[in-house]
Amino acid sequence: MSTTSDVLGRLHARPAAARWRNPGLWLGMLALLLVGLWPVVSGQAATREVIFTMLLAIALASSLNILMGYTGYVSFGHVVFFGLGGYVSMFLLSLGQPLWVAVPAGGVASGVLAFLLGKAILRLRGTYFALATIGINEAMRTFINNFGPFGGSTGISLNFSVYGNYGGAANALWLAYYAVLALALLAILVSYIVKTSKFGLGLMAIREDEDAAEVMGVFTPNAKTWAYVISAIIPGMVGALFFFKNGNIEPADAFRLQFSIETLVMIMLGGQGTVLGPILGALGYQQLRSFLLTNAFFKDYQLVIAGVLLLLIVLFIPAGAVGWLRKRFPRLRNVLP
Amino acid sequence: MKRLQTLVLALLATLGLVLSACGAQNTTPANNNAAAPGGGGTKTAIIGYTASLTGKLNVESTRQSNGLKLWMDQVNEKGGVKLADGTTVTFEAKFYDDESNKDRVQELYTRLATDDKADFLISPYSSGLSDAAAVIAEQYGRIMITTGAAADDTYKKGYTLVYQAYTPASRYLTGSIDMLAQLDPAAKKVAIVNENEKFSKGVADAVKAYAESKGLQVVLFEGYDAGTTDFAPIINKIQQAAPDVILGGGHFQDGSTLAKQIREKNLNVKMVGLLVAPPEPKFAELGDAALGVIGPSQWEPQVNFTAEAAQQKGMEWFGPTGSEFVSAYQAKFNEEPSYHAAGGYVAGLLLQKAIEKAGSLETTAVKSALDYTNMLTFFGALKFEVDPQAHGLQVGHDMVFVQWQQGSDGKLVKQVVWPTEGATAKALYPVR
Repeated sequence: MSTTSDVLGRLHARPAAARWRNPGLWLGMLALLLVGLWPVVSGQAATREVIFTMLLAIALASSLNILMGYTGYVSFGHVVFFGLGGYVSMFLLSLGQPLWVAVPAGGVASGVLAFLLGKAILRLRGTYFALATIGINEAMRTFINNFGPFGGSTGISLNFSVYGNYGGAANALWLAYYAVLALALLAILVSYIVKTSKFGLGLMAIREDEDAAEVMGVFTPNAKTWAYVISAIIPGMVGALFFFKNGNIEPADAFRLQFSIETLVMIMLGGQGTVLGPILGALGYQQLRSFLLTNAFFKDYQLVIAGVLLLLIVLFIPAGAVGWLRKRFPRLRNVLP
Repeated sequence: MKRLQTLVLALLATLGLVLSACGAQNTTPANNNAAAPGGGGTKTAIIGYTASLTGKLNVESTRQSNGLKLWMDQVNEKGGVKLADGTTVTFEAKFYDDESNKDRVQELYTRLATDDKADFLISPYSSGLSDAAAVIAEQYGRIMITTGAAADDTYKKGYTLVYQAYTPASRYLTGSIDMLAQLDPAAKKVAIVNENEKFSKGVADAVKAYAESKGLQVVLFEGYDAGTTDFAPIINKIQQAAPDVILGGGHFQDGSTLAKQIREKNLNVKMVGLLVAPPEPKFAELGDAALGVIGPSQWEPQVNFTAEAAQQKGMEWFGPTGSEFVSAYQAKFNEEPSYHAAGGYVAGLLLQKAIEKAGSLETTAVKSALDYTNMLTFFGALKFEVDPQAHGLQVGHDMVFVQWQQGSDGKLVKQVVWPTEGATAKALYPVR
């Protein structure tokens, strides 16, 4: 976590053009692009599926980091945006709308929900806010469970022929993959832009001391609401793609609280409040889980091992990998955003 | 403290290296021993699936994969299946933990179909997970037998390679309406209360439509949230509607609580039929509240389908008898098999029969053999819909209904009461 002097230091040291010359950002995005293109080159579907899950996690973690890392508001129920985006887009897809309408619509729906909610619940601070987000997720699940147009408890299923519009199921899965890759890159870029902007500084000031930030001229209710909205849009679109690929959506899958908590863990692993942290955390966490799940030796103990490792990391490196590097080697602060 | 941190970091870095190294190793193809042309060779067919080793579906899913393992062991012990070209095929299982949730089902099934080179796939347990797996099976051209997945809509999505072993949800409770018509043609009023969740809602919708088509009157049609423990409001509504019959329920927990509270309130109904809970042996622990409750089951140990019955129906008989299956399962796993276990076993039987008939492991040949499946097994009749509108839907298999009755020693025993040709006792009617 950066200190106040760190924040003040950045105020002086960041002329507008230098913002785009940060090697850490470009190297990070390039590395991710290379990882993302790996299954395209090798043509291996199994690798693609593994990396799909990772990119999904990166997009979610990077988005949530804007709220949790920069603003200091922990949203436990962030999966509500993932689920709502999924539902809105599946609804549109089942009505025959194309994917490029459905996915942005999912993002917009999540953004609108975040805007409305933000006005109300961002007045709560700390634990109260975290609890409220859990409540919202549960409320949304119960609502959808009883909402006829979205299929109620049976959910929405897509006919297999829908994939025919995108050149067959095989192509549709690739299409979903490219789209998630693009969204993951976009999420990182957005995260960086927010962090290096004046708006982002306002958010970090809120994180350090909300009252002081207000005194210094940050209009906190608006800043928090917009941070919430920005962190909700990409999860909405990612949810749309995930459920499009799955072919069906049900309330219990769309609003699964554990998924939210896993995203929080990823951010903490990589380093909250840093741009690269959530990427690293998501990659590491997903790689670990998918390795343990499919390894012949570990697969019966996978949850135990994952749990112990996470505990060790949280105990000994609470600032996360990138946070630890930044603290240990202050020079890295300029290249590891 | 610093040194410790460095140590942990170094450990993590090493672990990371190991992980990436292992990731690279996985690309080596699985061993499919090539058969010698001209016959006499051996071949290993790989059956891929995920099981819920952890999470909420653990119990049912474990039984299901136990059943499948039993089938595989028995076939392999007998020397496998002989193909048309003289090759002998033995089977090998490849499976992963899906943690009872959908996140990784597609990832794992893609892995099974590509890296692990699975020849055939078996579904995970539950309709939701199977639905996600079916997309992958279809996309990679692998046959998938679904078991433990009753929802109908998976088969109405235009798949061509997915085959259902269970009786679909739409016919789960319809037998109780037929049974009622035979027992008491004068009973006309039905109340349907169900857990608000994909499977139970599907069953409830279907039985409502069926009851109305048979001229019954649905006086109450109401859902309750998963995890409900206090049914008083629902029971009050039932009381006001004064039905002859209560149908519905959901899963074990809510179903047994509902049965208990119906008994406590002394509702004056002639028949109570609940999903999932009554076939479970644990249901007897409710004592009085369990007495007379009926429930649909995919299979029961005492149901006795025989080769003679198959002959009478003009169907082919295949596989072990019910008692052979029960004793083999008990010997191996030291517990009485539930219908989930039987479902796992029968998924293997379906594949075995189709491979024998096709004389090949080729997807197209096995698929056409499956399309013409029409056989009787210890699990019951099996036949698939071949119309593209609902390809793979199970149309041969029927539910049996069990009822808890007072045995001669005063203890509760589970009897099969419907269909009458498989019944072990007459139905107790009216319950009170």
